[in-house]
Amino acid sequence: MNMFTLIWQNSLRKKVRFTLTCLSVLVAFFLFTTLSAINNALSSNANSIDNYRLITSHKVSMTRALPINFSDKIKNINGVDKVSYSSWFGGYFQNEKQQVTMTAVDSSNYFAIYDEYQLSPAQLKKWQNTQTGIIIGSEIAKKHHWNVGDSIPLSSSIWMNRDGLFTWQFTVSAIYQGKHESTDNKKIFFQHKYFDRARAYSQNSINWLTTKISPSADNEQVIQLIDQKFANSSSPTRTITEQVFIKEQAQQFIDMAMVIKLVLSAVFFTLLLIVCNTLIQVIRERLSELAMMKALGFSATYLIIQIYAEALFLIGLGAVSGTILATLTLNSVQVNMANFLVGIYIAKSHYLISIIIVFIAAAMGSLFPAISIKNLNISQTLGAKQ
Amino acid sequence: MPTIQLKNINKTYSKGTNQVVVHNNFNLKIQSGEFVALMGASGLGKSTLLHLMGGLDKPTSGDVIIADQCINRLSESQLSQWRSENIGFVFQSHHLLPVLTALANVELPLALTPLNKKQRQQHAATALALVNMSDRAKHFPKELSGGQEQRVAIARAIVSDAKILLCDEPTGNLDRNTADEILSLLAKLNSDFGKTIVMVTHDLKASQYASRVIDLEHYLQSKECMSSIDDNSTKNVITKIKVCEQQGVKA
Repeated sequence: MNMFTLIWQNSLRKKVRFTLTCLSVLVAFFLFTTLSAINNALSSNANSIDNYRLITSHKVSMTRALPINFSDKIKNINGVDKVSYSSWFGGYFQNEKQQVTMTAVDSSNYFAIYDEYQLSPAQLKKWQNTQTGIIIGSEIAKKHHWNVGDSIPLSSSIWMNRDGLFTWQFTVSAIYQGKHESTDNKKIFFQHKYFDRARAYSQNSINWLTTKISPSADNEQVIQLIDQKFANSSSPTRTITEQVFIKEQAQQFIDMAMVIKLVLSAVFFTLLLIVCNTLIQVIRERLSELAMMKALGFSATYLIIQIYAEALFLIGLGAVSGTILATLTLNSVQVNMANFLVGIYIAKSHYLISIIIVFIAAAMGSLFPAISIKNLNISQTLGAKQ
Repeated sequence: MPTIQLKNINKTYSKGTNQVVVHNNFNLKIQSGEFVALMGASGLGKSTLLHLMGGLDKPTSGDVIIADQCINRLSESQLSQWRSENIGFVFQSHHLLPVLTALANVELPLALTPLNKKQRQQHAATALALVNMSDRAKHFPKELSGGQEQRVAIARAIVSDAKILLCDEPTGNLDRNTADEILSLLAKLNSDFGKTIVMVTHDLKASQYASRVIDLEHYLQSKECMSSIDDNSTKNVITKIKVCEQQGVKA
């Protein structure tokens, strides 16, 4: 019989309560581990983007158009290697629930800048020679069973064509394969030249430009030169690295990091309340036993350490189980998620943070019981009467 | 010199805004090896006296001197250690830990000693044998009868070889036969092992087992209770403690 025996036996005294509390801790740490891994994936995706690519859009908003001739003006800036332009199509297939990421791009050099979309020269040439041709990703081709040569009707939620229709007819010219695991294989590209000719309005305008800078160039300097060039024009620009662009795009819809922090705060606050409540119940039930132990000579410090150790065991067991379960789950779904969320991993620092959280949660959970033990009046608790 | 001395004890409890005086200038001496039964009506402060002697409570004023030590001047941690070394408690409700076997319950106070696991178990087994509970060593409290539970509680009280046993109505929850068994056991511990026993009880039959019966109702009006114990030894003890405290030595 020693303290470990006492901790073990006391913990398992109310098995159902112990199991349920342990499960709540497990869920908290499962969420913590999973969301941290997703956060890592989101951060690492943005971090893996080529830093030599710059995105230029209207200073006011991405949705405001820029003149197409800005492309030629940027080409002349020192340090610029290539410039391409793109416009957002806002496409969907059959109905608006089946959204597709569809972009009108400069057919002359877009794929020279975005070399992660791998195409053979013959495929590229074929597409460039087909006015209504589209290049589609292997994933979307597989999903809809589209093959090269298929004629596909795709609609736009933004753009009407000259026939007054929002449904446009395209032909599959090529299917690209992503260079990296993280490359999105569900995109659709078509020629901006055709887009400009066929749309009912806003000719000679684009949504954004992509500039590939020379390896020796300083991107901060190039960014300044581009924005200075158009500062006094009717369409002032804002240029950022693609890395920042991706992050900003994601944050337009939702600040994932903030959501994760809020969810985790709520989870751990709830966890703390549950653990506190459980331990307060434990103390209330065992008050006379604790008073007896004090009478036998066990100091308040000894009993507080014992309660802390019980809290540590309870939270630790839940935390270890939750983290293991999350790790196994993330490993098993990693293959399925690879196409839309690459780079899911649990950082080593996460385990350290988890351990720190376990110790802090146990300490905070034991706070009220510790005060009760410290103030426990043996005489009154064991039933002294005047 | 007496083993237990209560000197000029005043004990007051707060009940809301009221102050309830339980003891006023109370004095008592118990000699080493005595088996004292403290009797009397409810509300006279019998349990309070027992708790004062065991260091579970402190007097409002006055001194509790046990084996040359003025225990009401010890800190909480010093008192804890002192209790573990000097006092064995037996309560009406045995307060055994339900998650531990009889043997482990008896072994519990030894967790505070430097004894190793084997030695602790040997001591606990011996204590259980003394109360005739060896065959129930592996049983949990819920598997024992009330008398058996009280025997285990007595074994727990004597396992550390405490010289003083303080028993608060140890037979209160037991039937006559079982109560007699427990009283016999306490008498045996007193006669064969020299334990000083102070027992609070309402059981008139307990007087047959005790070497001295104090009827608190009468005692409170007696000269012995009212008069201060004014021997030099008490002064010496208090002086010794003060010197130790000044020198930072554990009392």
